[in-house]
Order: sequence, then C-alpha cells, then structure tokens
Amino acid sequence: MIARTIAKSVFSEWLSLLRKSFRLIGPVRQGDQINFAPLAEGEGPDLSFQNTRLSPKEWVQPASERLFQFSLDPANTEAHILKEVPWDETPRLLLGVRPCDARALNLVRINFETPEYTDPWWKHGRDTMTLIGLGCNQPCSTCFCTSVGSGPFDPVGLDILLTDLGSAFLAQAATEKGAALLQGVPQGTEPSASDQSQAETLKKEAEQALPPQVAVDRLKDQPLLPLFNAPFWDEVQFACINCGTCTYLCPTCWCFDIQDEVSGTEGLRMRNWDSCMYPLFTLHGSGHNPRDQKLQRVRQRFMHKLKYYVDKYGNGVACVGCGRCVQFCPVNIDIRRVCNLMNAFQAN
Amino acid sequence: MLTYTNKIQELAKRLLTEGKVDLVIGYRQGTIPMMNEPVQVKSADQTDQLYWDSFCGVNLANYLPRRTERIAIVAKGCDSRNIVVHLQEGQVKREQLVILGAPCQGMLDRRKVWGRLDGLEPLKALEDGQQLIVEGKGFKQSFDRSEFLQDNCAICTHRNPALYDELLGDLVPEQGGVDRYTDVRAIEKLDPEARWQYFEELLAPCIRCYACRNACPLCYCPTCFVDESRPQWVGKGLDQSDIRTFHFLRAFHCAGRCTDCGACERACPVGIKVRQFTKKLEKDVWDRYQFEAGIVLEGRPPLDAFRPDDQEEFIK
Amino acid sequence: MSEPFEPKIIAFFCNWCTYGGADLAGVSRLQYPPNIRAIRIPCSGRLDPKFILSAFRRGADGVWVSGCHPGDCHYIAGNYYARRKFALFKGLLEHMGIEPGRLHFSWVSSAEATKFQQVVTEVTGIVKALGPAPHYIKKLAEVA
Repeated sequence: MIARTIAKSVFSEWLSLLRKSFRLIGPVRQGDQINFAPLAEGEGPDLSFQNTRLSPKEWVQPASERLFQFSLDPANTEAHILKEVPWDETPRLLLGVRPCDARALNLVRINFETPEYTDPWWKHGRDTMTLIGLGCNQPCSTCFCTSVGSGPFDPVGLDILLTDLGSAFLAQAATEKGAALLQGVPQGTEPSASDQSQAETLKKEAEQALPPQVAVDRLKDQPLLPLFNAPFWDEVQFACINCGTCTYLCPTCWCFDIQDEVSGTEGLRMRNWDSCMYPLFTLHGSGHNPRDQKLQRVRQRFMHKLKYYVDKYGNGVACVGCGRCVQFCPVNIDIRRVCNLMNAFQAN
Repeated sequence: MLTYTNKIQELAKRLLTEGKVDLVIGYRQGTIPMMNEPVQVKSADQTDQLYWDSFCGVNLANYLPRRTERIAIVAKGCDSRNIVVHLQEGQVKREQLVILGAPCQGMLDRRKVWGRLDGLEPLKALEDGQQLIVEGKGFKQSFDRSEFLQDNCAICTHRNPALYDELLGDLVPEQGGVDRYTDVRAIEKLDPEARWQYFEELLAPCIRCYACRNACPLCYCPTCFVDESRPQWVGKGLDQSDIRTFHFLRAFHCAGRCTDCGACERACPVGIKVRQFTKKLEKDVWDRYQFEAGIVLEGRPPLDAFRPDDQEEFIK
Repeated sequence: MSEPFEPKIIAFFCNWCTYGGADLAGVSRLQYPPNIRAIRIPCSGRLDPKFILSAFRRGADGVWVSGCHPGDCHYIAGNYYARRKFALFKGLLEHMGIEPGRLHFSWVSSAEATKFQQVVTEVTGIVKALGPAPHYIKKLAEVA
C-alpha cells in the first residue's frame, strides 16, 4: 500500500485540497476538552490531544437523528405517510481519529450490517465517511488497546494512518480508498528510509508503553451461566449509579431508542442514543422489567461487551481499549478490573 | 489532608464485629489517580480497603434511599445534610444509620489539576499536608491544594457534619465571610436576552446522559419525569429546548433540598456547570424562607411547608 | 396592512375562586380582552410547574395562574403551598432568560368579577407589549 511523507508546513495546503471533495471533521478545542466538529474554512485540526472526550461515533450515528417525517394535516394529500428525511450526501472526512475509535466502527458494523438486515442510516453514515487516523505517539495510562487485539498504530478501520514524525506526517494508505486519496497528492513526497524507520520506532515505543493490563484469553471458554451468576458481580455493581456516562462515551456502544414526536399537525420519527444503564431501557409494555435491579444492568453491560459479543461473533471483545469509561466513570468502576475478574473466574 | 483512613477502618471493624451494622459504605482507593470508588464492606476482614483522601467527592448519601439494612456510612458535611434530607423525606430510617461524620476541608477537583498541567498526564497524586504533589512522565510538581478545590467546596459554609454518630476527626473551623452567590448575582445583572444566551452556551455540550441526575442523592424517583410518556413533558433528544427543560425542571425538583454537594458537576462527563440552576434556587430559598437544606432534622423542607405571612409581592 | 400582535395567554384558574370570578365577570357582561385560554384546575396548589413550561413550549406568549386568597382556599392550605412554588419558579424562569412580564400570578375570589376584569386586562396589555415569545418554543426537534 502506498505511503507519502507530508511536511507539516504544507499540511494545511493538503487540507484545502481535501476540502474540495469532503466536508472536513476534525478535533477542535471546546473549552477544556477536544471533540470532533466540522472544521471551518481555514481552520485546522487541533492535534494536541491524547483522545477526544466524546468518541467520533456521533458522526456516523448521531446522538439525535431524524429518520422520518410525517404530516397529520387532513388538507395534505400526503398525510399519514412516513417520508424519509432526506440524507446529506456530502462525503465527509474524519481527520485525526485514533486507531481505537476507527476500529470501534468496524466492530459496530457487524451489528448494523448483517446478512439478513442492514440499518440504512448507519450504513449511509459510515459509507460517506473517509477516515484519516493519527497514531498515538503518547498513549494514555488508561489506554489498553494492545490488550484487546488492537494497538496505537493499528490501521484496521482507517483509510489512511498518519504518524507524527515531528516536522512531517508519514501517511500510510490502509485501504483502496486511502491509496486513491494519497495517489498524486502534490504535497506528498516518497517517504525516505529514515521516515519509515522513525515511524517503526515510534510504533514500537508506543506499544511498549502499553503492556498488557487486561486478560481476555479465557473469556470465550468461560461457561456462560456460571459466569452470569458469579459472586463478584455484587461487589462490582455497588458503586455504579447507572448514570450512562460509560455508554455515551464508549465508541462501541450502539443502543438507541426510536420515538415519534408530534407538534400540531407535523410529526417526526427520530432515534436517540439510549443506554442499558437506565431502568426504562428494558421496561416492557406490560410493566414487567427484566432488569429492574442495578446489579442486573451493570452485569449486562460487561457481559455484553466481554462475553456475549465474543460468543456471538467470534470477533474478540466489543471493547477497543480507548479508556474513556475508565477515566470518566464518576465512581471509578474500571472495566479493566472487571474484565480480569471475568477472565480469571473459576466456575466450580 | 485529613487522615481519616485509620479511624474509618477501625470504626468499621468494630461496628461489623459487634454486629451493630450489616454493612459499611465508604470509599476505597481508585484504580486511576485522583479518583476513589464507593465500596460496601460487609465483613470485618475486608475493612482494610476503606480509604480517605481529598478526592472522595462522591456523595455517598446517593446509595441510601430505600435500603433496609443497618448501615454505617461515611459522611462529609454536605453528605450528612443529604442524609438529613433523606430522613425528612422518609427514604431511610434514623435507627438504620450509624453516621461516621467527616469534618471536611474541601474536596479537590481533578479537572482543575488537569487544567493546570496543561496536557501533561498525571500518573500519581499524593497529598502532604496542604500540598498536592503531582507526578507524571518526566515531571513532579507541588501545588497548594487550595488551587484545586471543587467549586462548591471553595464556598462551603457547612464543612462539619450536621448529623453524626461518630466523628472521624476534630471539627474544623467553618469558613467565614463567604459570599455564596457571586455567580448568581452576576447573572441577575444581565438583561433577559443576555441571560438566555448565557444558559444556551452553558448547556450547549449537554448529551442528555443524565449523569448529573443519577449522581444526585435527591434524584431517587422511581420514574423520573423525563421517562414519563403520558404526557411526555420533555423530548429525549438533543433539541436545545428539551435540554433546557430537563435541566430547569431537575433543578426545580431540588428546590429547598439541594445541599450544593457538587456531585452533579463532578459527574458530568462534558463539564457543564449545572450548579448555576440550583444556586439561584438556593439563594431564593434563603432570602425568602431563611431555610438551608439538611441542617436541622426537625421540620419540613420549604416546599412542604408554609407561613401565612410568606412574601407575595409578585402576586396581584 | 399587518395585523396587530394578539398574544396567546394560557390561564390556569382554580375551580373554586378564580374560575368562579371569571364566570361572574362573563355573566355580568364585563368586557375584557379575549386573549386568554382558560384551564380549570381544582386548586392553585394543583399547579405543577411543568404545566407552565409546557405552555411556553407549545407557543404561549404569556402564562397566568390565579387562585383563592390566602386563608380562603377550599382545600384549606393549597394556595399557601402554591405561593412558595410560584415564587421560586418565577425566580428561576426569569433567571434563565424569560422576560419578567410573561408569567403572572394573582388571587381573585369568586365574587371579584371586577378584579378579574382588571387583572386580565393588565396581563394582556403587558404580554402584548412584550411581543411574541422569542424563545423556548419546541416545535419539532431540531437535531441532525
């Protein structure tokens, strides 16, 4: 796959070129945090971050998304017909996404594009998105991508992977789409041998800074029911306040709630992010709630990510080690600790 | 830093061994710097995990509503006031509780530490008296802890527990001459359009995760108003009007009950200063009804009481 | 020629006092502006602040709540509790940017038809002068 060195002095020229074909979305400083937002004309991405507060999943699956609209006006000949809200077909480019977040989109795709069903909105969001990632020279202490099958320079899910060499970026194509983008870029030069070896060194150093903290090797073989009924859940669940922060910051959490909102004679069917942490999530129309206890909900989240997904798809755990939940859980429930408990569990 | 760790462990061990309580709710040391995890300890041989430092900002009263066990609970000034509110509202019984009161000198806000380090990642933070020593890759800096006090702790006037059975240390002097409402007054000076914009910007990052609501000890309704569907009072999405309605009503439900413990601001993953709503209500409750939540056990909260001569200057 | 602005004012009246007073005003043929839409509640104490917010969200330009005079409540103390709720609610609503003239409260008894006429005229005048409510209306969700 082709690679190019792009000097930082001409980086914004390259961005201007990309702007001709894409809407650019990159990391932008917002107060004391950095989040992905559309880059204004002439605005460059703020790459001085370890990771963004919110994952970029909102650019593929928006937090609130209009699906259909409808009219209830008897004078309207198209009343009572659900009409799709027109899609924005502008191709978008997500610039500066970390390998963990890109990989998360791949993991989540398995849910939204199955052989039987496809979620057209998710698919459209993902297909109109090109991903240029930035490898992590300085991983956080809460990152654990190397423990879950990824790494700070993992190109899976990316179209192009950038490595920050100091005064330049080494851009490596990871897909045909990425290769086509890099082909004939006037700002890019053929990478020198020292560029390549510097990138290799940075990659090795970053990986060494992330020794395995989390064991996942025994999860697949853990018998399901004994793990489900394990005694350690009582201790794990106590601190949880079911606040939903973990699910909202997590790049692999995908659950949503579809609802109609009506105002006068106009209506909207929209979908919003939802969280298994809330009791309402599993409330049946009959009034029965299979997960009305906090322990059941806390257990569900970890079992889903670290066991059910493993069993169902044979694709490893549904966690990419970004560490956001570890950093921002207000009561310090640490998925690394829980995963190790689950992995080490001995069913009698 | 107040070293209560040993005292907490000693009291917990004694209470559990003597069978006076079924469980002890306290903190254990977190897995990342500047964080601690609430923990339930049910047997005397597990009490050595109990821990205390200046990052114990979680309000443990949040774990009390509708529990039926006999519980020993570690409570700072604000937490103990929330326990009083729970008792007044019938969420837990006095006989169930052994309150381990923690006179507090204010909790520290790790976000302020991050801000001060400007991009450097702290790997370790230790307290030494009034100093906070922060270490990371290639740096070690010492700061005065007063730089990092949580916003609510900086203006706290009730550091000592309002209700307790045991004290973890000597009572601390209360802060004097504190103006709790400078931020409220600053907004009161603005005209309506400027106020509207102020709150628009304040709430712009909200993602409706409800961390603020869940961290709050007062929010214990089995069905929150946001989850009601007949009628639906507020939409569930990120429409600005819905976001504002949620925060407004949540704050109003805490009117006369909020102790300004700061759990809401601490929990918010996007750093919204949600106390801007409750501070206004707290000021009005004090000005009009001379009431502060959770200070005395007797009596009713202000919205569950009245005086025939309550101010009504705004009523025609 | 454009029509003058006619505000929509949602009025919550307690069944025993103000609603009776409004009724008496009607029976007595007292003239008053037609901009209010009356909603009858059993007592001013029944008023949940969510009703006021809902009215503004649905496009009300003004909201008026009226009940029995303190001491005269049919349910003894409902209006006493309401008084505290109203005070705090009005304070917070204005704090967050709704103009002070949009939310009104009054005590009007079932015999006070002329007071009713006075208050409704006053409220309508104030809200009319403020113009249509610029904020806080929720139509369809404005999201992605």
